[in-house]
Formats: sequence, structure tokens, C-alpha cells
Amino acid sequence: MNFFLYINKNLIFFFGLIIILAFLLVIFTKQINLNNIELKILDKKLSNVDISEPKFTINNDDKKIYITAKEGNFLSKDKILLKNSVSFKSNEFSIETEKVIFDRNKQTAQSKSKSLFKSKNTTIFSDGFNIHDRGNKIIFYGSSFIVLK
Amino acid sequence: MKSIVKIIIILLFCVNANARERGETEITTEDGIEVFQNEKYYLLKKNVKIESDNFILQANEVKINFESSLYDIIELNAEGNVQFNSPEFNIIGSGENLQFEVKIEKLKVKGINSKVVTENIEMFSDGSIEINNLTGKFSVKGKNSKLINETILITGETIDGIFSNNNDKKEITYLNVIDDKISYVKNNDTEMYAKKINFDNEISIIELVDSVTIIRNEEKITGDYGTLDTNNNSYKIKSNNQNKVKVIIQDDE
Repeated sequence: MNFFLYINKNLIFFFGLIIILAFLLVIFTKQINLNNIELKILDKKLSNVDISEPKFTINNDDKKIYITAKEGNFLSKDKILLKNSVSFKSNEFSIETEKVIFDRNKQTAQSKSKSLFKSKNTTIFSDGFNIHDRGNKIIFYGSSFIVLK
Repeated sequence: MKSIVKIIIILLFCVNANARERGETEITTEDGIEVFQNEKYYLLKKNVKIESDNFILQANEVKINFESSLYDIIELNAEGNVQFNSPEFNIIGSGENLQFEVKIEKLKVKGINSKVVTENIEMFSDGSIEINNLTGKFSVKGKNSKLINETILITGETIDGIFSNNNDKKEITYLNVIDDKISYVKNNDTEMYAKKINFDNEISIIELVDSVTIIRNEEKITGDYGTLDTNNNSYKIKSNNQNKVKVIIQDDE
């Protein structure tokens, strides 16, 4: 008698079923991951960014401060939340941070995120800053660390 | 494993970030900084610590005037519980307020319990202590003003003088002490009282003017004008009224 005739047909059936289920499970899991990635990309594409790569200027009598960021959102008519790689640059100094609220009308900027100020031979690390009086006055908040060379 | 590597990198970065390099000045504050670009000054607020190659200064609040950029310091004003130490200039001090003019190297400490200590001279006052490191001029003014060095103790309302740097030690070359109540100088075994006391190192003479008293051992001599030669420790006393010089010789027994 053939050897294969001794194998239980039910056993072969269940074994095949388990393999098929495992295969389907793998495919299904991968599909979920793909869906998540697609959703994330879609989410990014549809994020509520009002301005992409916004640029502003604070005008002073003797200097200009150029403000750039990757994203901007209007909080009100004049107030804009600038996010991601926010940079303030003038001939005398630069400030880098992650989030800033800029007031176009008052020409002020306020940040409560970690900031790095650089000017000639000077570096200031702070927990945020406030630029007002058209850039004449800069207040650095919190525990601050200055290095003068 | 990745987390451990990250922690090590962060720790290394922190250690490196806190290591001051030569020629750098590090400032830390607890409550931020206010920079006034047009007025050219900045305020350092709450528990300020300034550390450079030349000195360490701690105070509650510090105002720094700069010339063109923030590093270009021309004047420093520290307020509240000021403490400083300059190993390079061999000077330590403390007071309620400190003012330092960088270009002319003028240091002024003000307030109750003001103190400036150099290698061999100690100055105390409840008013102000002013030292010009370039000219060597110093001035101690106000209540409880006192100057002490190895051989001399001086008290008076106003102590003005000049010191020179000889062999890295500050040596008093000229001294002018004024106190409307009474000035006091103790030199070796001699105590001197007068309203005005002058000392000129070139001629080695301590000059005493008005309400003069000299006490040495058991002798006490009073008059209106006196001189003490620091070379031979001899003294002379005069009175406006020739008969008025008074000598008291005390006997221990």
C-alpha cells in the first residue's frame, strides 16, 4: 500500500489552512502598515498650514531683521505662528528657534521654545525670547547661557 | 542599546558644552537677559555668574555696557550680594554693588560691608572702596572705613592713597586720611590719632594734623600737629599754644 495513503486527510487540510491563514495575516498586516503610511502622507499634504515658507521683515531705522520659517499659521489678522526652523537675521545678529508668534502690525516676535542667538563673538542660549521696539529690545527668557569670545 | 548610545552622546555633548575654552567668557543667568541695542547695554537677571580667564563674578543682577557688540564690554555694574575673585590680579572682594570700567581698570565696590582684599592689603567700608589698577590710586569712603596691611592699620571717614606694585606686592606710597571726628593709624608699636593724617613714602613721614594724639608704650602725647619718621620711628608734636603739649607717661605698676 502506498505510504501516502496512511496520512490523515484532515491533518493535511488543517495544516494547509494554517499556512493560508498565516499568509493572509502577513499580507493583511503589511496592508495596514501601507495604509498608515499613506494616511500619514495624506495627513501631511492636508495639514492646516496657512503659509508655506513664510518670509517677513522687521524694519528698524538703521537695520532690517529678516524672518523666515518653514510653516506659518494665522492666529489672527496680524498674529502669525511661525513653525519649524524659524530664523531671524540682520546684519548684526541671527536667532534660531522652532516656534515664534510674529505680530505684523506691532513688529514684535515672541517665542517660548529653546533659542540660539548669535552675533559677532557672542552666543546666547535661552528658553525663548521677545523682540520688540522694532528689534531694538530683545528679551531672552529663562535660564540663559552666554558665551563671549 | 540605541538609547544608551544616545544618552552617552547627550552626556558628552553637555560636558563639552559646559567646558569653557581659553579666552572665552561664560555667563549664566536664572531669569534671562534683556538686550538694548540702541542704548548699547544688556541686563543679566537673577543669580548671575560671570566666569572668564581673569575673574569670576557672582551677583543678583548685572548691567553691562558695550561699545559695538555684546562682547565688547566697556563697563560692568553688578547689584546685590556681589562677590568677585580675580586670581590674575590677586584681588577678591564683595559688596552690595560693584562697578568696573574696563578700559581704565577702575573698580568700585559700594554698600554695607564692602570688602576688597589684595595679596597684602585689606580694605573695608560701609560706603565705597575704589581702586584704579592703572594709576594705583585708591579711595575708601564712608562709615567703618578701614585699611589693613602687614604693618599698618588705618581707620577714618575718608582714606585716599596711591599704591605701587613692587615685587608683585602692593605697597602704599601716599596716604591721606580725613575724619572730622578722629582718624586712627597704628604703625608697629605706635598709635596715632588726628583729624587729618598724611603719609608720604618718599620722605617716610606720617603727618598728623589737628587733635593729635600719639601713644607708644606707656607714653601718650597730645597736641595740634605731629610728625612720625617711619625710618627711625621717632616723632615730634607741636601745639598752637607752646605751653599746651601734654605728655602722659604711664607706669605699668
